[in-house]
Amino acid sequence: MASISLKNIVKNYGKTSVVKNIDLEIEDGEFVVLVGPSGCGKSTTLRMIAGLEQASSGDIVIGDKVMNDIEPQHRNIAMVFQNYALYPHKSVRENIVFALRRLKVDEQELQRRLVEISEMLQLEELLDRKPADLSGGQRQRVAMGRAIIRDADVFLFDEPLSNLDAKLRGHMRTEIGKIHNKFGRTSVYVTHDQIEAMTLADKVVVLHDGYIAQAGTPMEIYLDPVNIFVAQFIGSPSMNIVDATLHNDYLQLGEHKLPRNKLSAVSFDDEIPSEGQPVKVGIRPDFFNDKKYFTQSDSSFIFEAMTIELVEPMGFDKEVLFNLAGASIKARLDLRSDVKRGEKLDLLIDLSRVLLFDTNSELRL
Amino acid sequence: MLGKRTIKGRIGFAFAVVMLVCFSLLPFAQILSTSLKHQFDWGNPSLIPQALNLNAYKELLGLTEVKKVEIPVAIQKILDNPKLPQDKKDAIAAKYVANDNLFPFGKYMLNSIMFSVGAAFISLIFAVMGAYAISRLRFKGQVVIQRSVLFVYMVGGVLLMVPLYQMAMNIGLASTMWGSVVCLFLIYIVQTLPVGMYMLGNYFRGIPFALEEAAMMDGCSRTEAIIKVVLPLSLPMLATVFIYCFIIGWNEYLFASVFLKQYPEFHTLPLALQELFVSKNAIWDRIMAASMLTLAPIVVCFLFASRFMKGGKTDGGVKG
Ligand SMILES: Nc1ncnc2c1ncn2[C@@H]1O[C@H](COP(=O)(O)OP(=O)(O)O)[C@@H](O)[C@H]1O
Ligand SMILES: [Mg+2]
Repeated sequence: MASISLKNIVKNYGKTSVVKNIDLEIEDGEFVVLVGPSGCGKSTTLRMIAGLEQASSGDIVIGDKVMNDIEPQHRNIAMVFQNYALYPHKSVRENIVFALRRLKVDEQELQRRLVEISEMLQLEELLDRKPADLSGGQRQRVAMGRAIIRDADVFLFDEPLSNLDAKLRGHMRTEIGKIHNKFGRTSVYVTHDQIEAMTLADKVVVLHDGYIAQAGTPMEIYLDPVNIFVAQFIGSPSMNIVDATLHNDYLQLGEHKLPRNKLSAVSFDDEIPSEGQPVKVGIRPDFFNDKKYFTQSDSSFIFEAMTIELVEPMGFDKEVLFNLAGASIKARLDLRSDVKRGEKLDLLIDLSRVLLFDTNSELRL
Repeated sequence: MLGKRTIKGRIGFAFAVVMLVCFSLLPFAQILSTSLKHQFDWGNPSLIPQALNLNAYKELLGLTEVKKVEIPVAIQKILDNPKLPQDKKDAIAAKYVANDNLFPFGKYMLNSIMFSVGAAFISLIFAVMGAYAISRLRFKGQVVIQRSVLFVYMVGGVLLMVPLYQMAMNIGLASTMWGSVVCLFLIYIVQTLPVGMYMLGNYFRGIPFALEEAAMMDGCSRTEAIIKVVLPLSLPMLATVFIYCFIIGWNEYLFASVFLKQYPEFHTLPLALQELFVSKNAIWDRIMAASMLTLAPIVVCFLFASRFMKGGKTDGGVKG
């Protein structure tokens, strides 16, 4: 068990800077998810924690030990690789107990743990097979088993589910959550999948281009994104962004005038933006509601008679597309609305959920 | 239709294969046949001996009983003289019992095994280290080394023989028996190392580095990761390289003939065979039997190694 702290970590490959400056505290037992688009430096960061890459500058502290110059094998970290990296010449059993055998763990204890882990991951039937004879999902479970059987201080996961099909991915995600609840080890989990990030994390760290864009609980990231990148990366379908103009009393969004004093998620405190300043408005599809089925409150605003251009039924909910201020906007409605394509619909939002961003810097206002 | 097999096509193909195999095997059949023939049969073009003759093999393998040479009566009388000390008697008797003219095949074979297995083994160890370095590590001049490794083969052995011998003389190695032996070892290693490195290097590149990283995360040092993961996965190629080096050493004549000329006790099989060929009492069945026995270890070696050569061992380790 150990906390991890990354202090001003930088990683350059030759002249290209991959990780530009990462400063991160991970508490003992915390499940931290590094999320970001492909190529933003997630794996590199994880591999620096593992010791498989050396940071160009900065300190990596695990527990109370500075790990910069400590070899990976002496860091007591277990890792699940994206491509599993099972030993092809060893049976599933030997793959799983490889690290324990190396440590010369007492045979009885080794068997006890093997039984426990293989039961938990439903690997009992597979123990004598070779990795080549396993399906993708089974290999993934073996890779998990090989990591969690160890008494490691830290668990690292590099996109462990990205090679599985959607259904299996959902299942394994739940399993990983359960395993973490059971063992409570400090874990760092890398993914580009924001659903995995939201569901598993105690703390989500959104990486963008080698920097930490935002770190916080899943709900903080979801409700309070610091910029358009985070706002659009987290949440599915992603947040609608529309150009608008800010006036002294209202926000002009196409022909709609949203009362400015009700936009409680926006801080206007410092300088009052000048009359007619262009801004970007962000509204999550989830925050639109069909007026018919929703009680209005003080902070509600109604977009009247929007023409629905497309309906995508998803089962419990449906996504509808309509045009607002020249942009195509997505809204997610629940199954009660039976709106059809081409019909007109009154849509209601809670103004406290409307976010504003600076047009140039794309930062939250 | 693509891939459809007609009867005609199949027969034609089988015929071609049989022809090719026969063509390549014919010389070996000839060797085997002659080695089993009696002298009166040598001129007979048939491959099948009229009567089987195993004497040549027995002789070479030392299976014939030590010939009791008739001790002439005059000598026997001397031996019977009780005044003569026992050791002198033995010395005299030995002259008549010793089978000195026998071809010491076993000794030559041991020499050959020593040179070829020893050199192959050392070459393999260096090849593993070199191949790992050029395939995994990044260092200045890596690409140059990688490309120039095979350059050694652009210069034939004959061209290098004289300069190499001169060098060995100059540093004083070739003037002693053990020095010459060491020289020959070195030459065999240097001759086989590049190809060994090249083959192994390419093979190592095909083994995902993630496997070694996984081993390191599991607590192995890099060396341990190589021993526990890379080498077991490379068994087919290790076997291939070993056999390659072994065969080069086993069949090598040129350098052995130069460096071992003065040291008959270290003569290898190719040298011995050559001597047998040119000796006055060239006996065909014996020569051919010796050739056969020289071939045999290579065949055995191949059969043994083919067990390791089942490919596809790295399947299933990593995805995508
Ligand atoms: N060994 C390397 N040499 C050069 N560039 C690298 C190396 N490893 C990764 N990169 C680059 O670093 C960037 C980030 O890589 P990575 O951390 O793997 O991204 P991801 O967030 O998708 O895991 C990528 O653009 C990649 O091309
Ligand atoms: Mg990655």
